[in-house]
Amino acid sequence: MVRFENVGMRYGLGPEVLRDISFSLEPGAFHLLTGPSGAGKTSLLKLIYLAERPSRGMISMFGRDTGTMPREELPPLRRRIGVVFQDFRLLDHLTVLENVALPRRVMGQTEAQYHADVEELLAWVGLGNRLNAKPPTLSGGEKQRVAIARAVVAKPELLLADEPTGNVDPDIGGRIMRLFIELNRLGTSMLIATHDQRIIERLPATRVLKLSEGRLATTNEPLQPEAMRA
Amino acid sequence: MNGINTASGLMPPDSASGTTLHTIVAVMSFLACLTLGAVLTLSRLASEWTEGLSGSVTVQLLPSPQIGGDDQLSDALRITRAWPGIFAARALSRDEAMGLLEPWLGEGNVLADLPVPQLIEVTLTPGRQVNLQGLSKSLNENVPGAHLDDHQRWNRELASFAASSEAVGWAVLLLITLATLAIVIFATQAGLQAHREIVEVVHMIGARDVFIAGEFQRHFMWLGLRGGLMGLGLATATLIAISLMWNSRDAPVGAQYLPQFVSAPQHYIWLLLVPAITGLIAMFTARMTVLRVLGRMP
Ligand SMILES: Nc1ncnc2c1ncn2[C@@H]1O[C@H](COP(=O)(O)OP(=O)(O)OP(=O)(O)O)[C@@H](O)[C@H]1O
Ligand SMILES: [Mg+2]
Repeated sequence: MVRFENVGMRYGLGPEVLRDISFSLEPGAFHLLTGPSGAGKTSLLKLIYLAERPSRGMISMFGRDTGTMPREELPPLRRRIGVVFQDFRLLDHLTVLENVALPRRVMGQTEAQYHADVEELLAWVGLGNRLNAKPPTLSGGEKQRVAIARAVVAKPELLLADEPTGNVDPDIGGRIMRLFIELNRLGTSMLIATHDQRIIERLPATRVLKLSEGRLATTNEPLQPEAMRA
Repeated sequence: MNGINTASGLMPPDSASGTTLHTIVAVMSFLACLTLGAVLTLSRLASEWTEGLSGSVTVQLLPSPQIGGDDQLSDALRITRAWPGIFAARALSRDEAMGLLEPWLGEGNVLADLPVPQLIEVTLTPGRQVNLQGLSKSLNENVPGAHLDDHQRWNRELASFAASSEAVGWAVLLLITLATLAIVIFATQAGLQAHREIVEVVHMIGARDVFIAGEFQRHFMWLGLRGGLMGLGLATATLIAISLMWNSRDAPVGAQYLPQFVSAPQHYIWLLLVPAITGLIAMFTARMTVLRVLGRMP
């Protein structure tokens, strides 16, 4: 569903932060993106959610070459992807409920159409009692779960998560990962960027993309199936 | 559930930049409304004074050896009333005539012995062109001592004064409009800078440019409109206060003989244009700025 061919990327006139990246993401699969800090994980995700353009190479999304697509056809493509940003990017003046509802509103849905879904989803991530709180009053782990809820509320075909366990204790980290496994079972393809070694070991990732210094080093094949029970 | 307000849109209801924009727009709109009010009044006065002072003229009867006072008055009234376009002619009593002189000569018995000329107040039929020169000539020929004062000289001076003030007023209005434009554009852009995060997040979530622009332009239109209305309210209060003062005892001597410096009701309708325009400027600036910012994103 996502294919990179010899993709390179630079910020402005700076050096290339990604070089010769080629890979593809399989529908329904669970992918991990690992690598040391500064390796280019966030930059790679930005290319996938169309926040940045590659400086060379070809990116195809859902079977279409994004380089030749007119700008006004990109929003529908973005809606098929849910993103959990590394820094959450919640809107502080909106309530938890309004933040999570945002992708549905952007699609033109009315409150009547999304309200029940949003409430149900927030209850599922354990925030059923914080619906009307504003993000600045939430803990790091709570913000993380709001960000995740926002990323999945429109039932995306592909979920990108950037260090989703970065600011939480192992307990919540484990819960978040179980959530992702559950979503994957329901049919969403996953790409999780992390350098949390425990998670890498415990996940049923079908593929691990390893970045270092802007290059894709290795592509591992599935880990042991027992990890599913973790 | 009281925190949820779907009508409020994506924008914070009141941010610091919003308050600044509000205040600036209110002040500029106040100035624009006052100037527009003054210009409209001056424009009305100028045309009234050019056409003839508020539809009234005066016939003065000076004592003449050729005719008795009563005959002189009845002849003058007869000729005037018969003249085409004259609505009414009425002889002022001695008291009324003295009342008119009082502001200039002071109250008291000084006047008692003074020969005050007999005055006839002539009202013209509104909207009709009256041949005042012909009436003047006819009075001069037929009634000794009669003299038509059509306030021509006084009128001409006032009219040219009003016209030049009006021109200055339009120039000031133009300057204020340009300043308002610049300030509203500037404040709107500053406000948008504060909301950049909203634009980016909503964009990455998959919103179309027109959706984002729509949210912002609606928000900023209301800001501009509310600011404009606040300015209009203040300006209206000020104009009404001026009108009341002009009509009161405290008005400057002679003010009551001038056509009133009061905005006509239809002027307030023109003033409504001011908030409408501030709202539209803020709206279009927000739209253009957001679309430009979005255009730089992939
Ligand atoms: N907006 C930007 N402008 C310029 N350079 C950037 C920008 N964002 C990232 N970089 C650079 O690109 C490189 C890769 O950064 P990136 O954020 O993709 O790394 P990462 O793998 O996500 O790191 P981390 O694990 O710390 O989040 C770094 O050298 C970084 O300095
Ligand atoms: Mg990163």
